[in-house]
Amino acid sequence: MLQNVRVWFRKTGTAKYISHLDLTRCMARALKLSGLPVWYTQGFNPRIYMTFAMPLSLGFSGEQECMDIRLIQEADFEQAVVKLNSCLPEDIRILKIAIPLHKFDAISLAAYQLKLEWEEPQILEAAFDRLLKRDSVIVLKHGKKGDKSFDIKPFFISTIKASVPGALLIDVTLPCSTEGSVNPALLLEALKQYEGFEPYSTITRKSLMTKDFSDIQ
Amino acid sequence: MDLQDKKMSGLSCNLHDNPDKKERKLALSHKILMSVERPGRYVGGEVNAVMKDPSKVEVRFAFCFPDVYEIGMSHLGIKLLYGAFNQVPYFWCERVFAPWVDMEEQMIQHGIPLYALESGDPVKEFDFIGFTLQYELSYTNVLNMLKLAGIPLRSKDRTDLFNIVVGGGPCACNPEPLADFFDLFFLGDGEEVDIEVMELYRQCKKDGKGKNEFLREAAQIEGVYVPSMYHATYHPDGTVKNYVALHGAPAVVKKRVVKDMDQTYVPESFPVPMIDIVHDRISVEVLRGCIRGCRFCQAGFLYRPFRERSIPVIDQICQASCAATGYDEISLSSLSTSDYSDLNGLLDQLHLWTEKEKVSLSLPSLRVDNFSPELMERVNSVRKSGLTFAPEAGSQRMRDVINKNVTEEQLRHTVDVAFSEGWTRIKLYFMIGLPTETTEDIHAILGLGKMVVDTFYANKVKPKGKNVEVSLSAAAFVPKPFTPFQWFGQDTMDVLNMKQHELKSSNSSRRVSVSYHDAKTSFLEAVFARGDRRLCAVLEKAIELGLHFDGWDDCFKYDKWIEAFHACGLDPAFYANRTRDFNEVFPWDHLDYGIRKEFLAEECRRAYREETTPNCREKCSNCGAACFKGGLCVAKR
Repeated sequence: MLQNVRVWFRKTGTAKYISHLDLTRCMARALKLSGLPVWYTQGFNPRIYMTFAMPLSLGFSGEQECMDIRLIQEADFEQAVVKLNSCLPEDIRILKIAIPLHKFDAISLAAYQLKLEWEEPQILEAAFDRLLKRDSVIVLKHGKKGDKSFDIKPFFISTIKASVPGALLIDVTLPCSTEGSVNPALLLEALKQYEGFEPYSTITRKSLMTKDFSDIQ
Repeated sequence: MDLQDKKMSGLSCNLHDNPDKKERKLALSHKILMSVERPGRYVGGEVNAVMKDPSKVEVRFAFCFPDVYEIGMSHLGIKLLYGAFNQVPYFWCERVFAPWVDMEEQMIQHGIPLYALESGDPVKEFDFIGFTLQYELSYTNVLNMLKLAGIPLRSKDRTDLFNIVVGGGPCACNPEPLADFFDLFFLGDGEEVDIEVMELYRQCKKDGKGKNEFLREAAQIEGVYVPSMYHATYHPDGTVKNYVALHGAPAVVKKRVVKDMDQTYVPESFPVPMIDIVHDRISVEVLRGCIRGCRFCQAGFLYRPFRERSIPVIDQICQASCAATGYDEISLSSLSTSDYSDLNGLLDQLHLWTEKEKVSLSLPSLRVDNFSPELMERVNSVRKSGLTFAPEAGSQRMRDVINKNVTEEQLRHTVDVAFSEGWTRIKLYFMIGLPTETTEDIHAILGLGKMVVDTFYANKVKPKGKNVEVSLSAAAFVPKPFTPFQWFGQDTMDVLNMKQHELKSSNSSRRVSVSYHDAKTSFLEAVFARGDRRLCAVLEKAIELGLHFDGWDDCFKYDKWIEAFHACGLDPAFYANRTRDFNEVFPWDHLDYGIRKEFLAEECRRAYREETTPNCREKCSNCGAACFKGGLCVAKR
């Protein structure tokens, strides 16, 4: 048998500071250590088959990340979660293992929360509102073919804002797919460039979604 | 219990799911971490990192590696001692690495002192601050780390029984350039002596004793050198007159040796880095010491006697390490693993489970004289792309001088086999500036390179469609204490530069490339390798001038070093380039590594007569290491 299963995990705390490549190595070691009946690639250098949905930028937290592996034998998913967690660094936690419903190419959006720390968050909120009243908000987007000018305004119109003591929370859903993604950090770039604000900020990816805004499963 | 049982029982990796565990403290903010390269270096949180409750431990040890995380975490010694210390319930050993220059800047700017990775607590709150001394050019990092920790550099300025600064490792064989900064040094194998000293500290604390009493008692433990208890005097010409032991300290400090490698403590697990490091694999020590006696090699003499681990013990360590880490590669490490007496038997045993478990084996280095396709098939020490060997010198005469007993014919045979097996890239390591070296010896390096190229063209079954690439790498020779060349004055930088130029410019083959390192770093290494206590002032000045990471080309500032020497009125050439008289008293003569000075002198004379010395397995050369009554020295022949 060969069963495709989806492993859901959280990458927070110290694990925010490891790259995607480092994450794949950590996962490979944990899978090996767990003794789960995983499928290995059949090439000259067999390795544990793992495929990740969308890489998470270094420094971002991820609440609902996922990767697919293949099992060559039945396994109890709940036990496997416990076992894998005992083999992983403290800040990478397996949440659940399940049979996937969607393919990874169905992912087209991601929900993010930005926490921007500011003593009086309403001042920051006002700056944010001023920013979005402009006709366009042009920032430099770093791409494989060099930097290019990019208008982020259309992507940030429908954000949900909330002030909490000492910080402004911004919830935003942005394109996130193999075709192209918008990095939420571009907003910080725009705030600095247009309004001169450089708040201390943390970014969390809350979930990955299909094009009709339902969570990937 | 076999490997699978261990995996499923979860014995080895249950450190993390403690429900009572509080959020681990991070010493640095997200903002700082995001402003530096590779922030994963600074956060800890790895699998198998040991967490303890500080209120429940009695002695806290900050194990400092004076280089970046990726280098330090690749080092086997730190893993051994970390495990050994933490096995004791009332000790807590944590790791500390040197912050790279970008992080150092951030830490200074934000007033963050050097901290330990596990607890995030400042190093200045630790009972012991221990450094591993692997390389002379890391000395500035050692002092810089103390400075970043906010701990007074000089031992005499730390008066309490607290913040005890200790060191060990190969450079502890001549620790005199660091003597004023350290409270004590561990000589030889650290597994036992370090813990004895920590126990003594714990007892002294309980008894309300002071630092001086602690140091006096520590000096009585074999393998402990307390530099402040030795008074050095010098002749008018700057050479050492004598060392006088004070307060009942032994006149000569003998290194510690673990006699039986099967009885030493080996940790079942060690922290597994989340980020990629230099040697990202399990490393298992299969033997300690070396039988070879190459005359330039300090490790070959420092780690005698030659002691092997038995196959069942190595096998058990390999299985436990895999079961605790999830790594799929094991390096069978030592100074010369192919000298293990039953390497094939060892590989047979390991292959019983490694293939099934998809674990690969590797050897850290290969000797020219025992390379075989059969061995290569059994280990994956090498990618098909390139093979590296170290003939060390170009001419047979020169190799006889340094007692590197490999022949040109052996090298020719080895590369011929390699070409037949599909390799096309060969890298050869050499040294230049060796004693008695002539221009002919330099040219012979190129001759060996050409011989390898010719062997390729003459080989009838070489890979089709690929051309041969031979790279020759020449390092400048640095004479070290406890070697037969400890009397030898290093070639001056002018001579070394000339020889490098000669090597590079005489190369006429397009298939051969020549590379070498800047002679300035080798010069500085030579100064500190055979330095004395007066160099402490130079190091202190170097710290004032902001020097650190001298082993990294982009941080090495030669002009600043010369400024530091001038400021202290010392001539670096006195230490590096001066050929010593056989009667001279050395700054390390009161440290005993078992090797007799007269033996080293005789080896030196033999070198100048171009006479080789058989290896320990062929014939005992009576070096003195038999005094430790261990390993090959006492084995039945």
